[in-house]
Amino acid sequence: MYQYDEIDQTMVEERVAQFRDQVARRLTGEISEDEFKPLRLQNGLYLQLHAYMLRIAIPYGTLSSRQLRGLAQIGCTYDRGWGHFTTRQNLQYNWIKLEDAPAALADLAKVQMHAIQTSGNCIRNTTTDQFAGAAHDEIEDPRVWCEIIRQWSTFHPEFSFLPRKFKIAVTGSPNDRAAVRVHDIGLRMHKNDAGEIGFEVIVGGGLGRTPFIGKTIRDFLPKQDLLSYLEAILRIYNQFGRRDNLFKARIKILVHEIGIETMREKVEAEFAVSKHGALKLPQEAIDQIAVQFAPPAFETLSGISAEYANAFRTDFEFGLWARRNTFKHKQPGYSIVTISLKKEGAPPGDASAEQMNAVADIADRYSFGEIRVTHEQNLVLPHVKQSDLPAVFKALKAWDLATPNVGLASDIIACPGLDYCALANARSIPIAQQIALRFKNWERAHDIGELKIKISGCINACGHHHVGHIGILGVDKAGEEFYQITLGGSADDQAALGDLIGPSLNTKDAVDAIDTLVETYLRLRKSSDERFLDTYRRIGIAPFKEAVYVSA
Amino acid sequence: MSLLKHGRLVGEDAFQPVADDAALPASGAVLVTYARWQAEKEQLSGRNAPLGIILPNTVDALDFGPEAERFDLIVLHFPKFSDGRAYSQARLLRERFGYRGELRATGHVLQDQLWHMQRSGFDAFEIPRPDAVEAFAKASRTFSHVYQPTGDGRVSVLKQRLAIHTKNGPDSQEAAE
Amino acid sequence: MAKAPKLNSQPQIVTANDLRSGDTVYLTVTGGWTRRIAEAAVVANVEAGAALLAEAEAQAKQNIVVAPYLIPVDASVTPPKPVQYREVLRAEGPSTETRPAA
Repeated sequence: MYQYDEIDQTMVEERVAQFRDQVARRLTGEISEDEFKPLRLQNGLYLQLHAYMLRIAIPYGTLSSRQLRGLAQIGCTYDRGWGHFTTRQNLQYNWIKLEDAPAALADLAKVQMHAIQTSGNCIRNTTTDQFAGAAHDEIEDPRVWCEIIRQWSTFHPEFSFLPRKFKIAVTGSPNDRAAVRVHDIGLRMHKNDAGEIGFEVIVGGGLGRTPFIGKTIRDFLPKQDLLSYLEAILRIYNQFGRRDNLFKARIKILVHEIGIETMREKVEAEFAVSKHGALKLPQEAIDQIAVQFAPPAFETLSGISAEYANAFRTDFEFGLWARRNTFKHKQPGYSIVTISLKKEGAPPGDASAEQMNAVADIADRYSFGEIRVTHEQNLVLPHVKQSDLPAVFKALKAWDLATPNVGLASDIIACPGLDYCALANARSIPIAQQIALRFKNWERAHDIGELKIKISGCINACGHHHVGHIGILGVDKAGEEFYQITLGGSADDQAALGDLIGPSLNTKDAVDAIDTLVETYLRLRKSSDERFLDTYRRIGIAPFKEAVYVSA
Repeated sequence: MSLLKHGRLVGEDAFQPVADDAALPASGAVLVTYARWQAEKEQLSGRNAPLGIILPNTVDALDFGPEAERFDLIVLHFPKFSDGRAYSQARLLRERFGYRGELRATGHVLQDQLWHMQRSGFDAFEIPRPDAVEAFAKASRTFSHVYQPTGDGRVSVLKQRLAIHTKNGPDSQEAAE
Repeated sequence: MAKAPKLNSQPQIVTANDLRSGDTVYLTVTGGWTRRIAEAAVVANVEAGAALLAEAEAQAKQNIVVAPYLIPVDASVTPPKPVQYREVLRAEGPSTETRPAA
């Protein structure tokens, strides 16, 4: 994985010095809160309900064990010893003090980490497939491009005061695990007819108040032109994105209002000039980055490991876990492990410092010291030998990190919600906990199969509810928490926004409704192979709506 | 309000602002609005003195760009510090249209944006601080390196690394250190 | 954002976040700030709260707190209980936490 050189290290240290100075000037009143707010946001520091929240960047979701230990240490020193992994592969600490923030960032810098541009109207963390560099179905490792984009976008002088935030996602696999179609810019790596690998560029996707599936602005962009093209899009957005209305300021609104054809014309006109400029990527520069993502020293293995096969056969729990929580690796004899942070009844996506340290140790021993964060709020050990899987399972289980529910109903995505977030209208965590407990029974959960439930505590949709197979949106109805339910959303290659099934329900009724929806699916599915989402796509909303809203 | 040019405080602005309905002075540098320029291009071009223009941040720099060379001063505007349109205008004027005159930032110009403004091509700033000179000097030194190229001539990190690599030969692992 | 008239005629207290720590704080009768809602200065309604709020805003300008505002409370109980649930959460902490403070 990418290692900072002296230049990268100097950058983050100078950033810490800059922020330390800004905090000092704020505390003396030399700058006002209005002037300071965008500065602290661009260092990931939000003022939330209870305290300042620090959002730490985990570039394209990749961490070394040393970095994960660093995060644990910061959690213990400056916070309450636990953190929350987010839908953008970042980590949030909820109890940071402003006066401690510079020291926390200094500690982060020691492990090559930062909170740069994790908030504010600038280019945010570029996210990607959590299985990048390991997945069997990958065309090319997208993280090389994420790192190239990260550097280009960091402290970009022209694009630090955009109309609104800007999020980019990259997939290197035709099976999109990065939700590229619901980002401001999505990049899908693929081969053209000549066999060259390049990018499909998708623009104007996004969730929130006015969700949109992104539109293809260019079918094939050669690698060397990536930054020139991104700069062209950002330049058009910076100039023409709306600034009169906060809720209409994202690029998705611009694309919607002027149309994709006009957007393409403007961008291509700008690109026609910029492509010959300084942003054209020399192959050597690409190679310098790419070499840092070279695969680890895999052993040459063949066949199925005996340890694995034996455990699978004899250890029932292990078999359950292996079935759900592992994914096929490109290297024979290896496997990708997803660490579930969704123990039923616990707040989804949270991990204690002890758990983080445990994962770091397990990664060192079994995964070349590398960990990933998924946008579905789990962690990943990307390179585990199949023969080590039983030992890894045992080690994870000891820390409550082996719930065999990846992709199942209890693998819920939930934003922090009103328990933490000043923007929220309702809590998300308690309802997530209650729903997860309804699917604790492994037999039922495995029978239901893949079911992605996503919960947001407000219309900003940080829980990605629009693209949940079942989406839940918390609303405030006369001071009480109510929940709207949508069905049929999806963030994959057939991206779609969920359909509302009816009026919002109170907490108890909403949780019961989830049960009812699942029962309806089980009753009407063609076979146990047909997923919830597929049944919905086949039979439509009516049976589900009826089941929930028409009294028995 | 202090006017900062090339890192120094300027006591008096060489350019005299002229209201849209006021007569142009017989001689001397003047600063006019975009609206006036649109209306009186010939008269303004005919004057044998430096010409400055105040460009709203809603003007498309691609439209105005071909005319930029006629000016010795272009004033760009930040109505709120969060409104970053002028950064794009500045870069286009400098890098696309080769504008060489003074590029001045006005409006809500905060110390912490001087870095971005400088890199985008501004060389003059109206900043509301008594210690404008120190603030500006400090801002220029915020970062030793730049990740992305602009028209300010600084060598990007990417190019720096290529140079190191070339210097040490194609087999060098310098970049990974 | 305008509050419903009903809320405005209820007893009010002033709340804010402490600038340095980010903690939820309440304005006391002596013009100081406390983390304990029991010690908050209570006034009869929003109109009566104007002076309190002005004091709080002055202190915000002195970089003690950030963004003070009035909130309606049920003053018939001790400690006073905020009417709005988000303010209950601010006073009492999250309803669910991975690891609560000791």
